[in-house]
Amino acid sequence: MIARVRTMPLTWRRTAMAVIAIALAVVLLAPLTSTDVAQQAGLPLITDKLWFRIATTVAMFVTLASAWNIIGGLTGYASFGNVAFFGLGAYGTGVLVSSLRVPFAIALFAAPLTAAAFALLVGIPLLRLRGHYFAVATLGVGVAVGEVVNNVGALGASNGLFPPIIRSDLLFFYLMLGAAAIAVLSTRIILKSRFGYGLLAIRENEEAAGVIGVNTTFYKVSAFVIAAALTGLAGGIFAQWNSFINQENVFPVTYNVEMILMAVLGGAGTLLGPVAGAIVLELIIQTLAGGGSASVYSQIGLGVLLAVCVIFIPRGVIDFFGGRSRLSLRYLRSTLRETSA
Amino acid sequence: MSQFTQQVILGLLLGGVYVAVALGFSLVWGILNIVNLAHGAFVVIGAYLTWTLFAHLHLDPFLSLPIDAVALFVIGYALQRGVINRVIRAPVLFTFLLTFGLNLIIVSVLLVIFTGDFRSVTPGYSGRALQLGSISIPYIRVAGLAVAFALAAILWLILNRTRIGAAILAVGADRDAAQLVGVDLRHAYALTFAIGAAFAGVAGGIISTFQSITPTAGDPYTLQAFAVVILGGLGRVSATVAGGLLFGLIEVLAQSAPGLGSGYANAIAFAVLVIVLVVRPQGLLGRLA
Amino acid sequence: MRDLTKRFGGVHALADVTFSVDEGEVLGIIGPNGAGKTTLLNCISGLSRLDGGDIRWDDTSISGLAPHRIARLGIGRTFQIVRPFPSMTVRENTAMGALFGQPQGRLQPHEAQKQADEVLELVGLGEKREFPVLRLTVPDRKRLEVARALAMKPKLLLLDEVMAGLNAVEVEQALGMLRGVRESGVTIVLIEHVMKVIVGICTRALVLNFGRPLAEGPPEKVLRDPKVIEAYLGERYARRQEAADKERPQPPSA
Repeated sequence: MIARVRTMPLTWRRTAMAVIAIALAVVLLAPLTSTDVAQQAGLPLITDKLWFRIATTVAMFVTLASAWNIIGGLTGYASFGNVAFFGLGAYGTGVLVSSLRVPFAIALFAAPLTAAAFALLVGIPLLRLRGHYFAVATLGVGVAVGEVVNNVGALGASNGLFPPIIRSDLLFFYLMLGAAAIAVLSTRIILKSRFGYGLLAIRENEEAAGVIGVNTTFYKVSAFVIAAALTGLAGGIFAQWNSFINQENVFPVTYNVEMILMAVLGGAGTLLGPVAGAIVLELIIQTLAGGGSASVYSQIGLGVLLAVCVIFIPRGVIDFFGGRSRLSLRYLRSTLRETSA
Repeated sequence: MSQFTQQVILGLLLGGVYVAVALGFSLVWGILNIVNLAHGAFVVIGAYLTWTLFAHLHLDPFLSLPIDAVALFVIGYALQRGVINRVIRAPVLFTFLLTFGLNLIIVSVLLVIFTGDFRSVTPGYSGRALQLGSISIPYIRVAGLAVAFALAAILWLILNRTRIGAAILAVGADRDAAQLVGVDLRHAYALTFAIGAAFAGVAGGIISTFQSITPTAGDPYTLQAFAVVILGGLGRVSATVAGGLLFGLIEVLAQSAPGLGSGYANAIAFAVLVIVLVVRPQGLLGRLA
Repeated sequence: MRDLTKRFGGVHALADVTFSVDEGEVLGIIGPNGAGKTTLLNCISGLSRLDGGDIRWDDTSISGLAPHRIARLGIGRTFQIVRPFPSMTVRENTAMGALFGQPQGRLQPHEAQKQADEVLELVGLGEKREFPVLRLTVPDRKRLEVARALAMKPKLLLLDEVMAGLNAVEVEQALGMLRGVRESGVTIVLIEHVMKVIVGICTRALVLNFGRPLAEGPPEKVLRDPKVIEAYLGERYARRQEAADKERPQPPSA
């Protein structure tokens, strides 16, 4: 069902790497044109406010999708509630900076820690469940945590929290990019390690994994905690970046689905699949939204996108880049035949 | 003490609603192995349909229930046969994503048509209640409970006393064997889903009589339906009835506990869910899916 | 001296099964379908829990331990319906056993793969190292299953019907492979329906019927036991055995 780490044919690979290198360079350096230094030197402003907003959001989703990939793609436990960790990370940092006046640089560390702690707590019972049960149980976590937070006065209840404003598009962009980099790097390290093989074994055949010596509980929970920490980190950055958090903007149920779709569309279980999926999908969503991502039409668009992707491309776009299959009518038809009644 | 009795009665009445909501959900899950994340959306469609008929044609809500059933039956059949069937043999994740997507689409479309304003259905008798001392039992809720039990009976009859029900059960038990004895698989699947949707629609009609509805009002019901099925167990109508009533009780009693309130509906459902899954995965009366 | 004793009581699928296995032995477990043979292996490997009784390995109780701990103690098993890891190659599958199951030490992936190559040579899959699992035939998948278990360097190997579905030639080859395994010092407990295997390699046989032990002892004795013939082997087999015995001299008593 899910693609493993595939190798692309060599020429593809070289071209792809060159393109990626150039794109990365642009993304990393262009924002510097917006600094005062650059402006004074007369450099053209390549990146405006809109650019920063979209780019930072894309980086955020790269982080979220890659994080989800660790528990959903590599381990095979498709969590439908990772947004809970995003929100917890946001509130973890948010509470420290707004109520306790802790400097952001320090408060940010609380984000992954809060999320990871919670993941450890709920992960142990929840990871005993499989398939449907796990998915909906985690969905419930996502919804329930948001609800509880919305009712607790100390966390601002329905008014939300207002971290003191730090104005710097540049800072948050690089921070979020950093989070994304950490997420992708973590995935790479895992994939090549003994731990990663263990996760794959759990995904492919959990009982067999157990009898050959994989401590499945420990591995599953670890993957869950790592995914949570990365997701929480993104949340913590978001809290300060947005200067305002409440239940609606840090526990949106649609985030769950978006990060899953990004990972699956790009290729769950692969290293760069979630990255590609996140970039492509978020750009589409931003375009649909035309400025307001909560707009009704973008929701409809997302829904349709979901339906189409799930029906026609369940293995993700990476399938095509591996050279294994080409996007053709035949591929689509055979996919349909495999999955229809 | 009478405060407690009032709560219990309210809990059972609410439980009736949950029974109505969960019946269709349980059917689709048990037979098709689909956890339909758009179930709440079907409920809301039913609610809006009843409201529209009430607001524009002054049709009594309880009389509109059969219309809800038919409309949702058609919608459900079409959706399953046309869309959901395409992923029915794919891993669980994909049906989840698909039904979630459908939910998004339906809710958004409803938002466009009806906007987010709250609507209520208030027939003349909605305020009246049976007074037993200090305990008040709203008539309209009792009617809802009655409808819920009727639905359960109807479902039981369909599954156990009709040919089509036998076909559905066969398909649920062993897909290949069912085909071998001549059951049209796709039709059976679509029919099952349609029945589930129809029941959801009726539940929506009931709900519109005591709750103000808005397009997103259906979402909590999906999670709650899940909790009901987990609590009661999969595989039998009686299990869903037991689960629904018990869940209604739990929710009312939990919300009256100090510190909690009506904002915790989802959290309570989730807590019940997790506790049951950890302690007794097959639920009260069910066979493990 | 590795001594594995089991006493079960009260489990529905198994009741009052008691036996022990000595180091270097090959114990065959036979019986009709549903007799509880696979359940027995599941209990030993930790996938099922005992409701009564105990399993002892090296003088410590292992019943109730998680499967991975039991694996680490040096007990490896195969499944009746093979369970490979589909997205990995033959070599990677085998390496998994080395990676996680060895009693001493945690190997790194590439050391594990080297050891896997050696094991694959042993079972005859050396040339198909890089194959994706799905390309293998059924007999080869069974060999892979055994290879993966062997890569764990187990002291005790539990085999669940490895011969099922193999033709006569393949059975001989598999027997040869198992003899090699035994010679390398591994104790084997195997479930089989193919009597040739029981006679060919087992030092002892245990017969289960409806979850209870029916007979135990050297294969020649057990297979001629009238109770066993009645419950499982069938009259035809018994007659065939008699005919075969008449044609050649009786084996010397053990």
